[in-house]
Amino acid sequence: MAAAAAAAAAAATGAGEAVTGEAATGQSMGKSSVQSIFFSLDYGPAPESPSTALAWLETQGPNLGHFVNGKWLKPDGQGTITCRDPSSGEFLANCFQAKNEDVALAVDVAKRTFEEWSQLSGATRAQHLIRLADAIHKHQKLLWTLESLASGRVVREIRDGDIPLAHQLLQYYACWAQTQEQALSGWQPIGVAVIVLPPTFSFIEMMWRVSPALAVGCTVVVLGSPTSVTSLLVAQLSEESGLPPGVLNVVMGATSLETLLPSLSGVVKISFCGTVEEGKALRKALAGSGADLSLNLGAESLMVITDTADLDSAVEGVVDAVWSDRSSGGLRLLVQMSEWERTLWRLKARMGGLRQGRSLDWGMDMGSPGTSAWEKAQSYIQEAQNQGAQVFQVGNASQKSPFFPPTLVLGLAPASPCTQREVPWPVVVISPFRTAKEALAMINGTPRGGNASVWSERITLALDLAYGVRMGTVWINSHGLKDAVAPVGGCKETGSSWHGGPDGLYEYLWPAGLLPRPVALPEAMDYNKFGLSAPPVLPSGPDTSPPSQTAPYGIFLAGRFQNPSSRSSRPILGSSGTVYAHVAEGGAKDIRTAVEAAHQAAALWVSQAPGKRVSMLWALADALSQRSQVLAEQLTEVMGVGITEAQTEVMLSIARLRAWGARVHAQGAGLHSAGHQGPFLRLREPLGVLAIICPEEWPLLAFVSLLSPALAHGNAVVMVPSGACPLPALQFCQDVASLLPPGLVNVVPGDRDHLTRCLALHQDVPALWYFGSAQGSQFVEWASAGNLKAIWVNGGQSRSWDQEPEGAGPELCLRAARTKTLWLSLGDI
Amino acid sequence: MAPQNQGTELDLTWISEVQVNQPAVLRRAEQIQTRRTMKKDWQAAWLLKAVTFIDLTTLSGDDTSSNVQRLCYKAKYPIQEDLLKALDMQDIGITTAAVCVYPARVCDAVKALKDVGCKIPVASVATGFPAGQTHLKTRLEEIRLAVEDGAKEIDVVINRSLVLTGQWEVLYDEIRQFRKACGNAHLKTILATGELGSLTNVYKASMIAMMAGSDFIKTSTGKEAVNATFPVAIVMVRAIRDFFWKTGKKIGFKPAGGIRTAKDSLAWLSLIKEELGDEWLKPELFRIGASTLLSDIERQIYHHVTGRYAAYHDLPMA
Repeated sequence: MAAAAAAAAAAATGAGEAVTGEAATGQSMGKSSVQSIFFSLDYGPAPESPSTALAWLETQGPNLGHFVNGKWLKPDGQGTITCRDPSSGEFLANCFQAKNEDVALAVDVAKRTFEEWSQLSGATRAQHLIRLADAIHKHQKLLWTLESLASGRVVREIRDGDIPLAHQLLQYYACWAQTQEQALSGWQPIGVAVIVLPPTFSFIEMMWRVSPALAVGCTVVVLGSPTSVTSLLVAQLSEESGLPPGVLNVVMGATSLETLLPSLSGVVKISFCGTVEEGKALRKALAGSGADLSLNLGAESLMVITDTADLDSAVEGVVDAVWSDRSSGGLRLLVQMSEWERTLWRLKARMGGLRQGRSLDWGMDMGSPGTSAWEKAQSYIQEAQNQGAQVFQVGNASQKSPFFPPTLVLGLAPASPCTQREVPWPVVVISPFRTAKEALAMINGTPRGGNASVWSERITLALDLAYGVRMGTVWINSHGLKDAVAPVGGCKETGSSWHGGPDGLYEYLWPAGLLPRPVALPEAMDYNKFGLSAPPVLPSGPDTSPPSQTAPYGIFLAGRFQNPSSRSSRPILGSSGTVYAHVAEGGAKDIRTAVEAAHQAAALWVSQAPGKRVSMLWALADALSQRSQVLAEQLTEVMGVGITEAQTEVMLSIARLRAWGARVHAQGAGLHSAGHQGPFLRLREPLGVLAIICPEEWPLLAFVSLLSPALAHGNAVVMVPSGACPLPALQFCQDVASLLPPGLVNVVPGDRDHLTRCLALHQDVPALWYFGSAQGSQFVEWASAGNLKAIWVNGGQSRSWDQEPEGAGPELCLRAARTKTLWLSLGDI
Repeated sequence: MAPQNQGTELDLTWISEVQVNQPAVLRRAEQIQTRRTMKKDWQAAWLLKAVTFIDLTTLSGDDTSSNVQRLCYKAKYPIQEDLLKALDMQDIGITTAAVCVYPARVCDAVKALKDVGCKIPVASVATGFPAGQTHLKTRLEEIRLAVEDGAKEIDVVINRSLVLTGQWEVLYDEIRQFRKACGNAHLKTILATGELGSLTNVYKASMIAMMAGSDFIKTSTGKEAVNATFPVAIVMVRAIRDFFWKTGKKIGFKPAGGIRTAKDSLAWLSLIKEELGDEWLKPELFRIGASTLLSDIERQIYHHVTGRYAAYHDLPMA
């Protein structure tokens, strides 16, 4: 009756079963007779045999190589790292630790293959993807056992979640490839993409990114860690299914991207998933390298339980979110005060029933993602306790066990440092809120912008909360649903990269006709000095502009021209070299005021009907045409262009305003079906406050070309106009003042480097577009690491603003808003 | 048997604020069937346990004393002796939990069980089973007569029209009267969940039935289009748990109708273990209403013991 006694002891701790370790070791079959199980009704082991996975590892010899150019690459005399089963510590394989030359070789191969792969017809690539999907289907048992063994995630989640999803992803993006020539005309594959995998969830994270990249014609180098041996298997399967060698390459154990930079020449896209700290460091290190860096950071989830929620189902949502190996992060749980006790009660009861053990056991809820996750959780718990929090666990975290028990943290004050940190797996930090309004403020008060779920049976409240949270994905009355068609991404510190859906596709596309910048070593640059202060400007003669062309003086802030805080002015020279006019010299304080004004305006603007945006843009177009004569003359005088050219610039600017006005209603938002999981909305939301540093050239057209899409998508803007000729922009602001709500558009002329610095370092600016020097671009990239603002820089390259694709193409559309995926709940009948 | 539930005062606030999100419940129902797997000895032991929860049922128009007698014998000896011996389980005294028949067959069943020396109770359906569309007076009389004939458990059906029209007080009163008519017999209340329209109604009806004094709440008659399903069960056991948290009273749960395979029965057991805990895994608090399930369990045990799949004639008919 040993088993019965054990169960009784377990029951005493409130658990139906001892959570930690017991099931992992399993009871030997001889000891527990049918009789004793009959009385105890314990769960027994339900192991999946690791033999398939081990046999595959066996075929690889003593060391797992890299998979490059369709072959195994096993360089001589290199160090190896050991890959172990995190839940037992058993040895699985030795992986090579990639050196720079291995990565360089893989990049080189990918570069060469890109030439052919990208030239294939979309339909041909679609076939390749489908064949890979078939290969995954045929060898799924090998895949799920290997992935479960190496990652420590329970095998059931991989079999029932990851494998079907991988299959679906390949099929979904094959559909895009099939129709690429029509559906994605205007876009070209970006080039060689490097995908850096996180140590957990490697297989599916790889599939999310590899599928769209391959579909559109990119070639890929995957940088994996020793826990991501499955990525090697996928590469091998892709080779066997006929994917041309060199299209998909996997290199293992690369240390850090910073040191790899020299070997990445020729790469265009770098897609990174990992922690926020790593992401920020990488953003800084890659500044000026030209890499199009996509960051997908952090893994924390958020959940709101209101007083109209189905509490039992919400508690299951918590299990889905953190305690079922579906996510690698922890959960921030907000519960309405009136439901606090009832929720806590249910949560604790539910925790007692969770089972944790060997990942290759069909009856487990949670495996073990390894020692680093264990230590992270433990250090978080300790810090929380030191800061006065209560901790509730079923069983104890023991150094001897690889399994960290499900943990609930209560009473952590919002101001304690621990609250600011990312909640690690498998911890739930639970805090109360009083009203829905307060909940919204609490959610949007965190720096994270990944995903959240909202639990309420009242549709008005649920939708209000879902629309109000600034997150990439929001689920109503569910948590963690996934589908290949539904984009996953985020904002704020989560990073603004996307996978899944059409958004995942655009990550690997580039506007046709424009050349992407390949990675190069960045120039050395003193970030502390760039644009630190505006050089002094002295009066250099009287204004010579005729009275009819005099632009208004001042900084355009909050709807009116105000004196610059610097109380000084800079001369604008005419094309003849004489002073044409003086404009106000903007500075840090003006930027601060402008951003504040923009935030206030943005909050009001977002609730306006889109039709209002149309009428305003069209009214601006009308107003601009009234001024066309003066503007053309200014352009001629200052830029030295002919009057016809100047008139064309004005005409095009008017056309831009009208065109973007007309596009307000067609911004790609829509309702999609995800089968039995229910429908979801793909929304396009404004970025909020968008800072735009306009190019020097095309002083009016570039200004309007950037302003119009920004306004059309509902943003408020802070703009730095052309330095050489800010006059048309300021002239235009007179119409803005009379037609638009104050603060929606702010224009700050002045020293461009200095103003760029102020805006790029501003933590409350969520997005910034920069069109200026290579150095300025590099600075913006570096500084954006502060709040991981969404940035778009030109790297010093000029753009033909008068041409349709570059001046008004779909790229602007894509950049001017961010996607939100809102999962609706359906199926009550 | 567990002490009878005398019920509580009707408190409509217990049902007025209930929120049941059907898609979320469906997801949970899907999960619960895949998350706990029993293999080898565990499977055999759990299956034998499942046998002890079965209300072995025959509810057909052509029931006679002969097939009721066969049923009772099977209830006493649900698994072949040699199979039990192979598992060292022959001395446990495994029987089904009860036999369940129509009121007119109660006498036959009581006699047959007495003849084989089996002490398990006879359960009788009542109150105009399966539709419940008869006068309250005859429904109550039916209970009294079945109890007189020796039924120790009465499976009553509720009046679905009262649920669909929201007459909770009337429903409460009716079940109260059923309770009284049962006397010392146990009251199992069949909600006929397939005809209640929504999971929210299932929760409300469960709560009313428990407040009115049911010892068990039961999913269905087996005669509706939709019978025992996992989503419905999840809502009912959550209601049982809420009732326990409010009153300290443990109410039993009986899924019935459509449970035919050994695999299904294991999923039902793990559902109870997960949602209510081990305390509910005893015949006093958990039953499975079934007629053909037992033979599938016996086949699985046969396979476990012999390593072979049984032919139809290897196992005796019930």
